[in-house]
Amino acid sequence: MESGTFEKLTVLGESAKYDVSCSSSGHARVNVGRIGSAACAGICHTWTSDGRCLSLLKVLLSNDCVYDCKYCVNRRTADGARRTFEPKELAELTIEFYRRNYIEGLFLSSAVLVSPDHTAERMYECLWLLREVHGFAGYIHAKIVPGVSPELLTQIGLVADRLSVNIEMPTSQSLSLLAPQKKPEAIFAPMTQITRTQMEQRTLKAAGNMQRLRPAGYEGIDMGGTGLYVGEGAGGEAGALTSTPRKTGGHIVSESRRKTWNEKFAPAGQTTQMLIGASPESDRQILHMSEALYRRFTMKRVYFSAYIPVVDAPELPSLLSPPPLRREHRLYQADWLLRFYGFSADEILTETEPNLDYDLDPKVIWALRHIDAFPIEVNTASEAELLRIPGIGNVSARRILRQRRVQKVRYEDLKKMGVVMKRARYFLTCGGRYHGGKEQEAEKLRTVFMLESRAAEDAAALMNPGTLNAADIRRALGGGEKPQISLFEASL
Amino acid sequence: MNYIYDNTYEGFLTCAYHHWYTEKAEGIFPDELYQLDLCRYAMSVETDAAKAERVLDAVNARISTWDAERIYKVFCSNEPEKEMKMLRYIALGFRHGPKIRLMHGDPVVKAAEAAEQRVGREVHRLCGLVRFSEARDGISGNTLLYAKVELDNDVLEFIAPHFSDRYKSEPFVIHDVSRGKGLFAYGGEWEVMPLEAALPIEASEDEHGYRLLWKGYFDAMGIRERANPKTQRGFMPARYWKHLPEVSGL
Ligand code: SF4
Repeated sequence: MESGTFEKLTVLGESAKYDVSCSSSGHARVNVGRIGSAACAGICHTWTSDGRCLSLLKVLLSNDCVYDCKYCVNRRTADGARRTFEPKELAELTIEFYRRNYIEGLFLSSAVLVSPDHTAERMYECLWLLREVHGFAGYIHAKIVPGVSPELLTQIGLVADRLSVNIEMPTSQSLSLLAPQKKPEAIFAPMTQITRTQMEQRTLKAAGNMQRLRPAGYEGIDMGGTGLYVGEGAGGEAGALTSTPRKTGGHIVSESRRKTWNEKFAPAGQTTQMLIGASPESDRQILHMSEALYRRFTMKRVYFSAYIPVVDAPELPSLLSPPPLRREHRLYQADWLLRFYGFSADEILTETEPNLDYDLDPKVIWALRHIDAFPIEVNTASEAELLRIPGIGNVSARRILRQRRVQKVRYEDLKKMGVVMKRARYFLTCGGRYHGGKEQEAEKLRTVFMLESRAAEDAAALMNPGTLNAADIRRALGGGEKPQISLFEASL
Repeated sequence: MNYIYDNTYEGFLTCAYHHWYTEKAEGIFPDELYQLDLCRYAMSVETDAAKAERVLDAVNARISTWDAERIYKVFCSNEPEKEMKMLRYIALGFRHGPKIRLMHGDPVVKAAEAAEQRVGREVHRLCGLVRFSEARDGISGNTLLYAKVELDNDVLEFIAPHFSDRYKSEPFVIHDVSRGKGLFAYGGEWEVMPLEAALPIEASEDEHGYRLLWKGYFDAMGIRERANPKTQRGFMPARYWKHLPEVSGL
């Protein structure tokens, strides 16, 4: 044990504290919203004093950055303590924590130390030592620095379970404004490589997925009109969004925890993260971007991270503006619609209404906008139609279909099947009867839902005082003084 | 008739045998709990493997192996008066067969479900909350991992598969000090044995340092302004804290 290890661990742990993309079980999110609650099935090893579950050692390899991203407290021009782990030191620390059953695995990310390749080399050295020398079989999530060379990425992918490259911004304009050293190509190249390697791996192993492959040549596609440009076609899985919803996230251990680690490249897939609210993009642009990311890169998840103002710069929201936590929450709901409900970004947000309504669930908003399509008869609707009804989810839709095969669904049955009736009843008929009363106009319904959602939020605030809000986070950062923590992902 | 048994599963099954073949049971008590002055009204049952097996076979055949497992989990739980509850479950199972598990409304089934759930919850929780220390065997000087726990339910054997898979290359011991039992494992094999006395081991040189590091990291990860001890304790009940270096005084 080195003598400085304690300080490094606390400084570099703090730096990684607010990172949201600890996707192994969605537990490390600052804003404990509704999303991800089902995913918290992994093994929690301890609970912090504020009641959050810890299961991975989440830490930066270094916070000594040569880049100068405006929104980050580790940027070159900021002052503050700089620390860097020796690869060997961190590998030992991880295995010793793992042996003592303190943690389930490692979430390693880093600032750009000297250069992307230099950083990646040290990361790889650390992970390699962990797997090869210490025989570590736990979970590893490695965050990749943009601009890393393909060879190093391949090596890291072979020792990590999950990889992520942050997309950072919804458009290339914002990226060049706020993170000038990060080039879109440097972000998309590793994403593309990860996707492609995984597809090759799958084609080699699995039968019957040939038709899902697309030519991986140069396509030069503008990412969903968002202004971010993919230089190279990623060869995404066709219809990854709209066809079969796939289960993602969840249990760390079940995520193909490898016994023989060197046979697979990032078996738990890749994720990415986007900063919300630091740049002026609309929600529509953000959703288009994330839709494109799911399509082209077969992302497991796109994480949103509400920007918490910690840096005073003319390009950024003022230090007084609250972090857009509610917006982040609604974006996650919209993301859910993309992934599991067969919605497209264009359906959720239109050109005339490019932003989500932060007061209401995007699915309710969609239904109110298309009120003429309702009510839907539950006894004849297709699965896709059922899924459009607010209050009906994947599970309840399947239950309805199953029962229909045997006998008609009665109104009383719906509740038992898990349908949220206080919402759904306005949008469906059962056996031809409508149970929603007289409030069939969109405007009136809107009022009904607003009241309901406010009441629910108040109740949730009472139930869950542990949910963070903006003020807490700023206070946690040490008031208006020199912030010590990188909020937006100190690293990449 | 009150039966007293030796607190083993076979012992309980032998009592169940006597319930049907000798005399109806009014109470079944483990010997350590049974008060002496009541002894004259009770029969001390001698554990008999053959009789126990007959009951177990009947449970497997007439109810299901799934229910047999459930009954065993209830036995391992800390449910008060679990013996009679198990017996009633078996009796009800003999009447209804495997569909007993769907009779969620029946108080007998409910009690079994609740006990089983508590066992399951403790097993899951322990997978995260057992803390090992690196220790040195005082005799050979070899290192092993040692964890002290105080279990609510007798679940050592249920957590054994998880940990013996996790630590294939290292010997480890999980010591349930409240029951005087130990789980000994190495190389994927494991066994639960009585362990009354302290093992002749001492903490390795690095042990204290790693505990300090872990505590430092743990403290750094908490958001002080949002301290929420209620939620924390809800997930991590205070009775576990004694053996968690991050919250105990080390
Ligand atoms: S976001 Fe990452 S690359 Fe940018 S300054 Fe911060 S640590 Fe460096």
